[in-house]
Amino acid sequence: MDVNQAKQEHLLALKVMRLTKPTLFTNMPVTSEDRDLPGDLFSMLMKSDPSTIKGAEMVMLGEMLTLPQNFGNIFLGETFSSYISVHNDSNQVVKDILVKADLQTSSQRLNLSTSNSSVSELKPECCIDDVIHHEVKEIGTHILVCAVSYTTQSGEKLYFRKFFKFQVLKPLDVKTKFYNAETDEVFLEAQIQNITTSPMFMEKVSLEPSLMYSVTELNMVTSEEEGESTFGKMSYLQPMDTRQYLYCLKPKAEFAEKAGVIKGVTVIGKLDIVWKTNLGERGRLQTSQLQRMAPGYGDIRLTLESVPDTVNLEEPFDITCKITNCSERTMDLVLEMCNTRSVHWCGVSGRQLGKLSPSASMSLPLKLLTSAQGLQSVSGLRLTDTFLKRTYEYDDIAQVCVVCPFLSPES
Amino acid sequence: FTDSPVLTGASNPIQSPLVCQPSPSLSKFFADNGSTNPASDFFDSFTTSSFISVSNPNAESPTVAAPPERQLSSSGTTMPNQTHQDVTTPIFFGAPPMEGPTGASQPGLAEATPPFSKLQAVFSGSDDPFATALSMSEVDRRYDAWLPSEETRKVLISVATQQFNPMHVDKECITMPGLKFDNLQGDAVKDLMLRFLGDQAAAKRQVLTASSVEQSFLGLKQLISTKNWRAAVDLTGRLLTAHGQGYGKSGQPTSHTTDSLQLWFVRLALLTKLSLFQNAELEFEPFGNLDQPDLYYEYYPVIYPGRRGSMVPFSMRVLHAEMTQYLGRPQESLDRLHSMRSVCQKILDNLEEGLAEDGSMMNLTQENRQEVSICELWSCVCTLVSSIAQDFVLAVATYQSLVQYEPEQTVQLLSAIGRIFLQIGDIKTAEKHFLDVEKICQTKADGQPLHTAVMMNRAFLYLSQNNYAEAHTCFTNILKCDPKNPVANNNAAVCLLYLGRLKESLRQLESLVQQDPALYLHESVLFNLTTMYELESSRSTQKKQALLEAVACREGDSFNTQCLKLV
Repeated sequence: MDVNQAKQEHLLALKVMRLTKPTLFTNMPVTSEDRDLPGDLFSMLMKSDPSTIKGAEMVMLGEMLTLPQNFGNIFLGETFSSYISVHNDSNQVVKDILVKADLQTSSQRLNLSTSNSSVSELKPECCIDDVIHHEVKEIGTHILVCAVSYTTQSGEKLYFRKFFKFQVLKPLDVKTKFYNAETDEVFLEAQIQNITTSPMFMEKVSLEPSLMYSVTELNMVTSEEEGESTFGKMSYLQPMDTRQYLYCLKPKAEFAEKAGVIKGVTVIGKLDIVWKTNLGERGRLQTSQLQRMAPGYGDIRLTLESVPDTVNLEEPFDITCKITNCSERTMDLVLEMCNTRSVHWCGVSGRQLGKLSPSASMSLPLKLLTSAQGLQSVSGLRLTDTFLKRTYEYDDIAQVCVVCPFLSPES
Repeated sequence: FTDSPVLTGASNPIQSPLVCQPSPSLSKFFADNGSTNPASDFFDSFTTSSFISVSNPNAESPTVAAPPERQLSSSGTTMPNQTHQDVTTPIFFGAPPMEGPTGASQPGLAEATPPFSKLQAVFSGSDDPFATALSMSEVDRRYDAWLPSEETRKVLISVATQQFNPMHVDKECITMPGLKFDNLQGDAVKDLMLRFLGDQAAAKRQVLTASSVEQSFLGLKQLISTKNWRAAVDLTGRLLTAHGQGYGKSGQPTSHTTDSLQLWFVRLALLTKLSLFQNAELEFEPFGNLDQPDLYYEYYPVIYPGRRGSMVPFSMRVLHAEMTQYLGRPQESLDRLHSMRSVCQKILDNLEEGLAEDGSMMNLTQENRQEVSICELWSCVCTLVSSIAQDFVLAVATYQSLVQYEPEQTVQLLSAIGRIFLQIGDIKTAEKHFLDVEKICQTKADGQPLHTAVMMNRAFLYLSQNNYAEAHTCFTNILKCDPKNPVANNNAAVCLLYLGRLKESLRQLESLVQQDPALYLHESVLFNLTTMYELESSRSTQKKQALLEAVACREGDSFNTQCLKLV
């Protein structure tokens, strides 16, 4: 990783150390009973060991912090922190030292030094220290370029550079899936996989909706005061583990009309993910704008504005349909209701609904009852456009759960 | 009374490894063949054999003017009083306590006593040594209680009913261990000295080896307490070889005693502490799952008449269970621990119903020792299912259940749980646990240690929030009340590095190491120091060599030289 460029013997030495979070020292305790050969030797040794927990020496996870021992991996979204030290290895005073640290990626070059002014003099055995931070925003090769320029006591101006190359890897694999509900709502399932080598705590996975939508997050179980995540106690993702998050997007009121006639690709929003690893090492990623292909609605789109989840057997219930004219021409619609084996419509079939202009919609309250228990599908609506004499069939527009409210025949 | 071992000086030549002598049966000595074997020989062998006598495991024998055919060891023993209520403290002759790890070798100081007075000292609680021996056997029963599996039980029953023919025993079900490697690689510190400091300096290194101590349990304990664990492993090898289970003996029929199993336990425990897990696994292998019939006392009715239970120390079972975790198979460790737990639970249930441990009828008066063993078991489970197992949910749940068993460790356990959550990255939950700790500490009056715990947790929380300045303040706050706290000192120095103050951090750690090497010449601190040396300049080798010199004066052969970063 360290490519030393200069062949000349320099008075100053540059050292770089990546500062990941420290780790907690762990012990390897061995128990032995007083009756055993070692007696209490092992436990005495543990008690006198400075790195054990006093009063609970068998606890492996100690409190001593150990500095990072290797570069480790670095992932997109994490913060790259590094200690940069310039040390005067010589026995003469060095003047006008300027230390610059740049990060070179495939697309840009960033200056990371916290100070850009030079240090007037550096005595022997002294050093200039800097800690740089940078939130990594690109995958692939990164090169940390450290340049040091200085003047010797005799007035000679010297300069050297060091290059440190490292790879930034992808931490998460994100897959999305859209579900279109019977209403205008769209459900987004986001599948997130941890492709790093250590466990991750997902602090936040939220969906930032685009202008047209408002979002309801469906990943918390709310009880009295506090909500608990649907993942319960498994608050972290092991390497290679996957997790699904669910969101419900509803078009905002002002866009409701437009939503009805959407064709093609629409932008739904983007996922904002924040995670933490060892001792709070943070990572943050946003996906690009997620897109959804609107399903083809044909000329007339029938959606449900309201429908109950559960209804009683043989009891009439109300639903409200919304009919949207998705075509370019005005329609004159007639509604027919056909009964199925289990669905029985109430009301007048064959009535005129009136004219509907392009992109306009109308609400249609209807009453029906079911004669069979269980999950029943609402079917049997027919809309006929009298202008073109074309009939559109609407079956399986919704499901209801039909239960029998009676416990016994007598009651 | 602390363990006061005695080094045999130049005047007493080192004894060759002793042959294991389990207590012989009486018939050997009270036979009708005349007086060629006087009864005193029986007692001699009882008390002068250097291996622990069956009836009194902690009786060490006195030095006696040795009759030519007997080998002796010197005296000086430790007697843990707290657990043996029905055993009287033996009188022993102490040498002054050990000075330092490679300290001055002390001349043999034990006084010679005739064997009979020693015997009476041991059994001085009652006039009748045999009654005392019988009452001690109840303690034995309690400690040795274990429930064998069905197959093992069948074999043991056939031994008891004398239907057992050792010629027909299935080789699969007996234990035939042997050393799997010859000698450990000596002293890593000395090797480094040879390489970096020269022959002369290396020659000055004084450390106890297997040959420089008495070839007995006593010598072994010396090597352990002075942290010369490699030498200790070598010594166990010699003693086991004397017992017939040396290098190359694996797979050959042998017999087991309490002593030989204790030797194996110590050997395997030390290999674990030295992180030589593969070696340990190799040598553990012939022991199967520690349930083979020849590991039970009932298998040896002649040598251990009337004694029941397992010869395998409970701690050896725990070690066996923990082993697989270190080899990367944590699930197996959990399985083994769970099966141990169910045996312990069964024994506890038997005791609670007024039966003996194995379910037979018995009169019991004293406290359930098995309860203690379950607690130990669970504390080991906790040590097990920590970060290495990476099953944090289970780790946390286990630590939480342990709080019930060890309420005096509540603060430490809750803090440990908090740290687990910090390692996962779940800062909020960690904070919750740290707040619980604060609440407990507020209700207690005891000042300093609790204050330290609270400050320590706060510091870790700040660290996790990238606030190294505040973390540093918390650590220095601890030092105001407890200036010698090594953890706070080390961690404060670590924070300084993250704040860009390398020189300051180095100076702090260096002065700690120089002023108090006993505390700070520790692996974890030295890793930090040498890492910073490397960051400071290209000429770090000199400074690391100075550390090597400091280490060479103090540390035994088990010191992890990797932390010096010289190679």
